[in-house]
Amino acid sequence: MTQPNHPDEKKPFPWHLVIFLAPALLIYVTFSVYPLLDTLFLSLFNTQDGNSTFVGLQNFITLITDDNWSHAFWNALLNNFMFFAIHMVLQNPIGLLLAVLLSSPKLRLSGTYRTLIFMPTMLSVVIIGFVWQLLLSPIWGISEEFLYNIGLGHYFDAWLGKEGSALITLSFISVWQFVGIPMMLIYATLLNIPDDIVDAGTVDGANPLQTFWYIKLPLILPTIAMVSILTFVANFNAFELIYAVKGALAGPNFSTDLMGTFFYRTFFGFQLQQGSASMGAAVATLMFLIILVGVMLFLFFVQRRIQRFQF
Amino acid sequence: MASVKLNNIKKRFGDVDVLHGIDLDIKDGEFVVLIGESGCGKSTLLRLLSGLEEITAGDLYIDDERVNGRSPAKRGIAMVFQSYALYPHMNVFKNMAFGLKIAGKDKTFVNNKVVEAAKKLKIDHLLERLPRELSGGQRQRVAIGRAIVRDPKVFLFDEPLSNLDASLRVQTRVELGKLHQELKATVIYVTHDQVEAMTLGDKIVVMNQGRVEQVGSPLHLYHHPQTQFVAGFIGSPKMNFLNAKISSVGKENTQIMLESGRVISASIDSSNSKAGDRVQIGLRPEHMSLPCKENKIEGKVTLVEHLGELSYLYVDIPKEGELVLKIDGDNQYKAGDQVVFGIQPNNLYLFDSKGNALTRLTTSLEAE
Amino acid sequence: MKIVTGFLPSSPLNVSKSVTVHAILMAYTVIALFPIIVVIINAFKTRKAIFNDPLGLPDSDSFTLAGFQEVLLRSDFGLYSWNSLVVTLLAVGLVLLLGAMAAWALTEYKFRGNFLIAFLFAMGIMIPIRLGTVSILSLMVELDLANTLTALVLVYIAQGLPLAVYILSEFVRTIPKELTEAARCDAVSEYKIFFCIILPLLKPAMATVAVFTMIPIWNDLWFPLILAPGEETRTITLGVQQFVGQYVTNWNSVLSALTLAIVPVLILYTIFSRQLIRGLTSGAVK
Repeated sequence: MTQPNHPDEKKPFPWHLVIFLAPALLIYVTFSVYPLLDTLFLSLFNTQDGNSTFVGLQNFITLITDDNWSHAFWNALLNNFMFFAIHMVLQNPIGLLLAVLLSSPKLRLSGTYRTLIFMPTMLSVVIIGFVWQLLLSPIWGISEEFLYNIGLGHYFDAWLGKEGSALITLSFISVWQFVGIPMMLIYATLLNIPDDIVDAGTVDGANPLQTFWYIKLPLILPTIAMVSILTFVANFNAFELIYAVKGALAGPNFSTDLMGTFFYRTFFGFQLQQGSASMGAAVATLMFLIILVGVMLFLFFVQRRIQRFQF
Repeated sequence: MASVKLNNIKKRFGDVDVLHGIDLDIKDGEFVVLIGESGCGKSTLLRLLSGLEEITAGDLYIDDERVNGRSPAKRGIAMVFQSYALYPHMNVFKNMAFGLKIAGKDKTFVNNKVVEAAKKLKIDHLLERLPRELSGGQRQRVAIGRAIVRDPKVFLFDEPLSNLDASLRVQTRVELGKLHQELKATVIYVTHDQVEAMTLGDKIVVMNQGRVEQVGSPLHLYHHPQTQFVAGFIGSPKMNFLNAKISSVGKENTQIMLESGRVISASIDSSNSKAGDRVQIGLRPEHMSLPCKENKIEGKVTLVEHLGELSYLYVDIPKEGELVLKIDGDNQYKAGDQVVFGIQPNNLYLFDSKGNALTRLTTSLEAE
Repeated sequence: MKIVTGFLPSSPLNVSKSVTVHAILMAYTVIALFPIIVVIINAFKTRKAIFNDPLGLPDSDSFTLAGFQEVLLRSDFGLYSWNSLVVTLLAVGLVLLLGAMAAWALTEYKFRGNFLIAFLFAMGIMIPIRLGTVSILSLMVELDLANTLTALVLVYIAQGLPLAVYILSEFVRTIPKELTEAARCDAVSEYKIFFCIILPLLKPAMATVAVFTMIPIWNDLWFPLILAPGEETRTITLGVQQFVGQYVTNWNSVLSALTLAIVPVLILYTIFSRQLIRGLTSGAVK
């Protein structure tokens, strides 16, 4: 406590502390912490048929091994890793390239480019999903015509409708929308590298490529690591894009199913299968564990090894 | 080691002329200090010499070779930055070795070079540390070490001491001086601190608004400033200036009338001026003696600063202004005291209305 | 030899380099904007023109507002927008106020459990609130809040608080202690210190927090879909999703509905982009 008191005077109860902290804490605990813990707890029960019975880890065993569930679960999980992998392969290099170009010295219009390229990131994933669904639709044929114009017409296909290409296409759409975030964060990091350090490299004889490789890149690695973990968390609870474009069934034939859509179907049911709160909770618990492991790996390995540099 | 010659070097950023034609001759092994207020172009000049900034016009020679278009590394220069500019992700060894590694030198060579330089700078126990684990003084040494390992022809220093605290600054200044004597290298050193300039420089270049105001040895600049600007820049505390008029001219003695009507005499050649010209008198704080015989002036002490070995008296002279006096520390003055002091005629400086100095006739032993 | 160069890129190498940089950035800008622009221009065209000349601008022949009329007739866009606005403003406002109060309490006062509570909030930055959806839904049903905007506001506050508390705490730490100590010496109450001294100082950080909190709330589909799917409480994102799902084959209406959802956001973005980008690139979210 900060108010000075005489030793013999009894400290008054710090009401102001309660008043400052309680509202935020109450709402946060009630609607975020408690539901999360309750979900983890619920995943140990079976709520089918209206009454709830403790079943231990049975729900997880069912998810991972039962014929009715395991196929869908593993499918969603693998798809999700695929989804994340495509983000990693495309989003960081493209974002890095754009950031490096934007930060070139004395570049005119750099503010305009930055604002425009970041625009799709601002829009709702749902809207973006629909926009691309229309653009890629063979009925409208706008992409097909475009490809014909640049001589690649025969490559066109109803990508979103085919089992082999739907997930990849959706990943591309997502990368297209969110590339602005790595771009912006890397750009900010690049701007924060003092000119003197780059000059010192030049005086030491490094050419622009060597300056980038030996000096700038190591300094933006922590940012790339942070973008990656943000992407990991976002990818492993992605739902909207798939739901908007392909519906809760994540077709064709579940080829675009992610953990988010799988969770939604498990919880609310679909077609013949009834929704189940406890199975939904079990899926959510697994998602929680995956995200937790990812975050922990990030904190313990990446963040620790790549120290923050002070300039 | 090398000589450096600047021939009418100009720099323009967009529509703004920053340097208006700089001529300078630097001899092999000379320690040259560029000094001036911030924005005078001294740092820009250093960047032009380093090759980090393109020269707009003029010629730059290092060892009689024109190097205008050459990249920094190929000019054979090394630079120590104000912020030290150490690579934050590399340890001390890698920081020092980076330039050699880029140049493709083999490992044992690099290793020997770095260890040798580190020993010379007494940082050989720090080679594994990252810059953020070092103190300011240690970082400074690493930055110097990074320059030394490359055996440059010319060392460029950009205000290298300004980020150190006062006591470390003095210590490092002394070490830099010793290092220069040991390496016998050509050094070009930018600073705004006149004490650094006086103590380190073989030659001082005073810059003002993109021009060279005066070049000379420290003592020469002290005794014979060509302009009022240089006079005000060299010496601490600053030279005092008073408005005055020439009352009679002469080749060896000039009579000057202060604003109060008081007349004093100075050993100055004013044969090119005429009586009635407006001038500024320059009085160095250390040149006003108490008690005194000649050119007596009296005033009231407004503040005394006791520094121990000496004291600064701030004295208000009625109708003239305030003067700072530097006197022996063993005194009893306090605010409110009346003092009388005098100025020897050969300790006076005189500047015409354009700020140019009138020739002093001094008997001091200074060179040139 | 004297060379006097004017204010021109000084070497041909630099010129070609800068042309390449502009070319790549421009190309990517086109990639980023093309899909959005195509949707917007076609929203103003007749069905025939949409298919025959999808890249053409609407002209006197092809111009029509039929799509928009249909959207406004068949769905309550005004209501959806209003719902979104109410939910977003209430949630963001409360996140800012409660977040600032909590950040202040956690950084200024030392008390038992301080670290634990700060850690609890920090966890929320990384762990998505969605994972608790099963329990949130049953909680809302129990509280009789299902299908109300209140449910959304409460969840969004819980969702926004962790990042708000984090950013604002970092900012509170930079406020000099002398300020509050001087006030305490004058026996100013703790409430007055916070509301009259600290809160005004937090303004710039709050702008950053507002932007980061607002965007995910406005764009969210998940919670509206699950907690408030009813016609009366639909948000704009859910409204568009439902409408497009229902009228997939009516191109005019679909394009118009998307345009109605896109344009206001883009206008707001253009106005506030400077602020937003400053927030993103400032150290606040490192």
